[in-house]
Amino acid sequence: MIHNYLFLSIILFCLGIVGVVSRRNFFAVFMSIELMLNAGNLAFIAFSRIHVSMDGHVLAMMVMAVAAAEAALALAVVILLHKHKGKLDTNVFSLLKG
Amino acid sequence: MLVNLLFYTFAVLAVLGAVGLIFFRHPMNGAMCFVGTLICLAGLYALLSAKLIFALQLIVYAGAIMSLIVFIIMFLNIQPEDLPKEETKLFYIIGGVVLVSPVALFLGKIINTLPNLRVDFVGGDFGGVKPVGLILFKDWLVPFEIVSILLLISLVGAVVLAGKKGMSK
Repeated sequence: MIHNYLFLSIILFCLGIVGVVSRRNFFAVFMSIELMLNAGNLAFIAFSRIHVSMDGHVLAMMVMAVAAAEAALALAVVILLHKHKGKLDTNVFSLLKG
Repeated sequence: MLVNLLFYTFAVLAVLGAVGLIFFRHPMNGAMCFVGTLICLAGLYALLSAKLIFALQLIVYAGAIMSLIVFIIMFLNIQPEDLPKEETKLFYIIGGVVLVSPVALFLGKIINTLPNLRVDFVGGDFGGVKPVGLILFKDWLVPFEIVSILLLISLVGAVVLAGKKGMSK
């Protein structure tokens, strides 16, 4: 039974990778990264249910805090870039190429 | 029986939401699909008897973070002609699936070696606020402090980036 949760976590993580690879819209890429974080959270919770210990819950809370910090910073950056370029294409945002 | 039914409902809806996130062109539709995925994941956490994480997933993820993203999407007022043209999307999706599926199969093999125990609800205080808080402040105090510093840094960074107008020139 518990295997199904871990299989679902793998499926969601792979869908997140496919989203990051295939999309060029900034918001879609960003939400795919969030999807990968959530798949990791699901695996943490499932393993902490296997071992009936609550360390996985604490780690999932840490992941949520990191996701919140990432969302705040990434959205501030994308507002600035959208002001400069007027686009949402991740190919346009390659400003650090040198 | 009911637990199985709930699990399969939540799992199918979560995967459908993720697929919708990948396929919808406008980010608003993708964000709505992703909110559905997050709510289904909260239900799965409840089935795994993680009560505190269930509430936090609904409040912090589906509530705060996704409303921030949806707010920014509406704030930028994206018209369909502003979106990047993604003619090669399908090609890249197929390539990504081909690339990722061996890794997924390998991980599935690894999971099949684990003991497959039944998911019953753990009674008592498992996953409640008090025991998780005790573990958080006893065993995980240093990571907790590091996360607080990270949040402070991201707060300062967001303020600096968003209020750049008077400072840079």
